[in-house]
Amino acid sequence: MAQSNHWQLIPFENFERPSAPASTVIQQAWSHVRTLFGRTDSDETEDVAQDFPHYREFALPPAVAAIDAAWQEATDAPRVRFVISAPFSGTGAVLRAWAEQHHYRTITPPSIAQLSSADTELWWQQQQVGDRPWLMDEFSSFWLRTTEHLAFVRALLPRLLRGELGQGVVVIDSWTYAFLQRAWPLALPHCYCFAAATPELLQQVGITASDKQLRKLTAQARGNLGVALALWAVAQSSDKRAPSLPSEADDSTAFILYSLLLHHGLQGEHLQWVLPMLAADQLDVQLLRLQQHGVVEYDDQVWRVTAYAYREVRDFLSGRGYWLDAF
Amino acid sequence: MNAEKILGLFKEITSGVLIEIAVVIVVALLVIWLSQRLLPWVAEHLHGKQRLLALAMIPTIRVIVFIVAFIWIVPLVIEPSMQNMVAILGAAGLAIGFALKDYVSSLIAGIVAVYELPYRPGDWIEVEGTYGEVKHIGMRAVEIVTPDDTVVFIPHLKLWSNLIHNANNGGPSLMVVVNFYLEPEHDANRVKHLLEDVALTSPYVQLAKPIVVIAFEEPWGTHYKLKAYPIDPRQQFQFMTDLTARGKQGLRALPVKFAQLSPEHVVQATPC
Repeated sequence: MAQSNHWQLIPFENFERPSAPASTVIQQAWSHVRTLFGRTDSDETEDVAQDFPHYREFALPPAVAAIDAAWQEATDAPRVRFVISAPFSGTGAVLRAWAEQHHYRTITPPSIAQLSSADTELWWQQQQVGDRPWLMDEFSSFWLRTTEHLAFVRALLPRLLRGELGQGVVVIDSWTYAFLQRAWPLALPHCYCFAAATPELLQQVGITASDKQLRKLTAQARGNLGVALALWAVAQSSDKRAPSLPSEADDSTAFILYSLLLHHGLQGEHLQWVLPMLAADQLDVQLLRLQQHGVVEYDDQVWRVTAYAYREVRDFLSGRGYWLDAF
Repeated sequence: MNAEKILGLFKEITSGVLIEIAVVIVVALLVIWLSQRLLPWVAEHLHGKQRLLALAMIPTIRVIVFIVAFIWIVPLVIEPSMQNMVAILGAAGLAIGFALKDYVSSLIAGIVAVYELPYRPGDWIEVEGTYGEVKHIGMRAVEIVTPDDTVVFIPHLKLWSNLIHNANNGGPSLMVVVNFYLEPEHDANRVKHLLEDVALTSPYVQLAKPIVVIAFEEPWGTHYKLKAYPIDPRQQFQFMTDLTARGKQGLRALPVKFAQLSPEHVVQATPC
């Protein structure tokens, strides 16, 4: 008997987070109170992120099939579709696999100089797309949160919506999308996202647990499959705990974490451009401390929030009144 | 005869009653003391609405405790008939009113302040030119801390006759206004868009709130006001600094020149 596919690509406005069981709500409230009264264990320096169990990669073909199922029925396909991707949800990887299967050309992000000049025409010519459909899978690299580096994305979006760049798919990170709603306040049409992870989907990607445990896991991960896999990996490891923010976390920590999420990771130099009011040594101290606690990782010259700490970082920013993503 | 009448208004005070009154007062003071220590500490670990809610509970708890203690103690001392209550409370009120008019006025204004909410702990208020964050609302006075870290005690009776300017009015939203003074020869729309982006790209800005730029033409040039909200009212001065620093940098890069006041527009500091 063929196994049913629980991946589902849905219109973005139809996304619903899984509701948390009462026990999870109480557990989260207790965790919040513990944070408030200062946990002693959070003061201990955690092992570095590399020591965490690496969460399992999931098979992409069922997710690719879900995209085909969602889009093949459309007779009047729009020129450009937007897929909103929560961090660690794997949406980018799935879309890349889908694009390769359908012979889409992958678009490279503009250089920093091109971000400043906002010359979308020259950049587009360099892509040499021709008549082929294309995939923009790193849209968070198409801007920086500075006055000099917003113009490119503002020039590009109208061209995309007018259909000047042909047929394609844009994968937008959910935090970038939330910021763009404020910086370029025209609602993007044809936005899609993967439906929140269900217990059935967790079973499909290989997590074996009771239905109650799976429901709890989907609620804790807010329906984000990658975060659910990371939390599960940590839960399975008896000697590891999910990373927690250092007790010294302050306003500067929040600025750094928010910037890293907005841009889906940043090089140190670019982080300094985005946060010019933080001195370079202050920035280094903050980043290294967060790295020691497993909250951020440094890979390929880019600082990123780790999947294991994502839930805690989001709660931290939410408690401080930040403008959050929709997931 | 009169003395006997007056004494007749009171109940017989036994040692048991005295102990009960003492216990009620001690417990009331303890609850108030605890709320004044614990809630600010909790509030320091919270942000936004949660912080303001924790701070706002302090004066409310105090008023509730006072009312409960008063209702508890009075019937222990006075025969609880309407005639007795009016006689004793009226006489006491008259005496206190004459002797400690301002003090009592402040106490009553303090109670009014709890319900009318002209200021709450965590609010940023200005009274008679003094601006600061409300740290504590006492029985007689409100305690504010200015940006220069000076504590100022303002009696509640200012409430009756003075204008109280409240910048965030119990919410986490507090508007910050930053001024830029430019020479008149420039493209005003470019400057407006730049200043909007300066606020939009500030790490301090509350993205859920509007960003507004207003321009005024003056004899010496153009005056721009950039209005935006910080995420946390406590960050308002860092936010202003960030907007000013990056605003100046962006305006220089446009390029736009900053206004230089000519001698005839310089205001004389002292009368000639």
